Amino acid sequence: MATEKITIEPVTRIEGHAKVTIHMNEDNTVNHAYFHVNEFRGFEKFCEGRMVFEMPQITPRICGICPVSHHLAAAKAGDIVMGVKPPRTASLLRELMHMGQIIQSHGMHFFELAGPDLILGFDADPATRNVVGLIGADPELTVRAVELRKFGQDIIFQVGGRRIHPNFAVPGGVNRALTQEKRDHMRAGLDKAQETTLIGIQLIKDWADANMEDIEKFAVFHTGYFGLVTPENGLELYDGNIRLVDKDGEQLECFSAQNYLDIVSEHVEDWSYLKFPYYKKMGWPDGVYRVGPLGRLNAVDKIDTPLAQKEFETYRQINNGKPVYQTLYYHYARLIETLFAVERARELLNEPDILGKDILNKKFNFKGEGVGVIEAPRGTLLHHYKAKPSGQLERVNLIVSTGHNNWAMSKSVDSVAKTYVKGPEVQEGMLNRVEAAIRAYDPCLSCSTHAVGQMPIEIDVIDHDGEVTQTLKRG
Amino acid sequence: MGSKTLIIGYGNADRQDDGAGWHILKNIAARLGVSVPEDPGASIEIEHPKVDLLFDLQIYPELAETISHYDRVCFVDAHTADIPEKISWMTLSPEYEKSPLTHHMSPKTLLSISKTIYDQVPEAILVSVRGYKFEFERELSAKTAELVDQATEKIWDWINKNH
Repeated sequence: MATEKITIEPVTRIEGHAKVTIHMNEDNTVNHAYFHVNEFRGFEKFCEGRMVFEMPQITPRICGICPVSHHLAAAKAGDIVMGVKPPRTASLLRELMHMGQIIQSHGMHFFELAGPDLILGFDADPATRNVVGLIGADPELTVRAVELRKFGQDIIFQVGGRRIHPNFAVPGGVNRALTQEKRDHMRAGLDKAQETTLIGIQLIKDWADANMEDIEKFAVFHTGYFGLVTPENGLELYDGNIRLVDKDGEQLECFSAQNYLDIVSEHVEDWSYLKFPYYKKMGWPDGVYRVGPLGRLNAVDKIDTPLAQKEFETYRQINNGKPVYQTLYYHYARLIETLFAVERARELLNEPDILGKDILNKKFNFKGEGVGVIEAPRGTLLHHYKAKPSGQLERVNLIVSTGHNNWAMSKSVDSVAKTYVKGPEVQEGMLNRVEAAIRAYDPCLSCSTHAVGQMPIEIDVIDHDGEVTQTLKRG
Repeated sequence: MGSKTLIIGYGNADRQDDGAGWHILKNIAARLGVSVPEDPGASIEIEHPKVDLLFDLQIYPELAETISHYDRVCFVDAHTADIPEKISWMTLSPEYEKSPLTHHMSPKTLLSISKTIYDQVPEAILVSVRGYKFEFERELSAKTAELVDQATEKIWDWINKNH
């Protein structure tokens, strides 16, 4: 059957990081769709030859969205390379900074990026389907949403001393103790952050109740699920073993990040620069899994903070205790994690040791190689370093969260396109759903560069002779 | 921040010409007699009676509140070949520009949020210079370095005209 091709290329700024191609059949249905990532991975080479101590300052510059995750993963890898265990106070402070990152990133994603689509509707006018349009629907909520992100950013600032490029975590600990004044300042914002998150949770639950038909046909498929856990298989975002469960929630592996190469392999496709990680023992593509909020909540048995646990119990009832595989529930999972992060920040701020002065262990026992792992907002982030005895790095490998979800994002695009896109005139709302399939994963494709350039959605309908038959743009 | 004019530079100084905004802010800081760290991309947050300066890796929603306190805001960035001018000087008005897949936010979007939430819109311009190389380096390409100097001069004139 002859096909024509629709291309959505929304993020072409410098090299062009990603695009979507939708290949149409002659009968105006979708034949198949791809999510291509043209990510340039030169950063690892850039890091080789640098000193391991520099990495917490260098790697946050990979990404303007989750610099704290890279900062902390680099410090954790440095701990292992240098054979040093941070003092308890240092670990508490690092985790607190990480909770700030989770709150600001998740808060921005739900309330300011994904939320308007849900609250105002996929088919709403694009001119109003945004946070400004949301103000018309709920002005107080919008102000709260901005304040929630600001609260998360403020935690990062109070703990790390800088809003960007924090110079805080180092191999062996951190270089700045927390003052009582700063602790009290952060405590003062907790109640409002918790209230806003609970409002968001109610919003997403109400939306889900009213849109069950969409939820049950929007990128619905089974995978494995992957994320850090506590020793009792509770939700863990800062440190722990990685647990991998299958589509039914049965544990496949629970392993130290140091052994990730024994568990995970990467598949290559000729239409994407980004590799496709999968579980080695099950092979490709049976071993694909998902990370991020949905992946994490499916990989755990519980959450160790009371309000998030209560919500988790509701979440787990969606599929009668089995993993939640419906992609749109990523948003619900994201807000449950935000609630956990706020509650966990409260616990950390109430720890007497958070004000301790023993923050750096300099008794190194050089090991030469190590893997730092952390749950970035969008999924498991791994930094793997190999260093000479001098501390100079010989090899650097980074597995970023978006990589783990590469297969799932492609599958979601294909599934949603086949479900919603119909020709010959492709409507904006149809394409917005395709974008929403990717947005659900909150991918990090904007790494590294931020120059001004055109960023429209351009949809070229190309027939099998290579001629453009339809072009749609949305700036 | 006390004064009524704010210059916001943004970009990634580790990606060569993408960091043009940082280099321009550094030049302006020098003209104000204020030093900034030599490390490209380092934080710049300067309050000065003449003009305030702020550099960040990217712009984000809560800056809407910050700009709502100013009469004039100048955004400074690099641009790609999509914009024909070597130095682009654009007057901005509030307009929500949604980024489909990412956390990107544009100056127009920021103005839009400021207008809607805080009912304040500063007079705003976006000055950007053409970037030619976006490798993992901190040194600007020769062509962009030249444009950075020219853009600094123009922005300095704009600051003085409005002061």
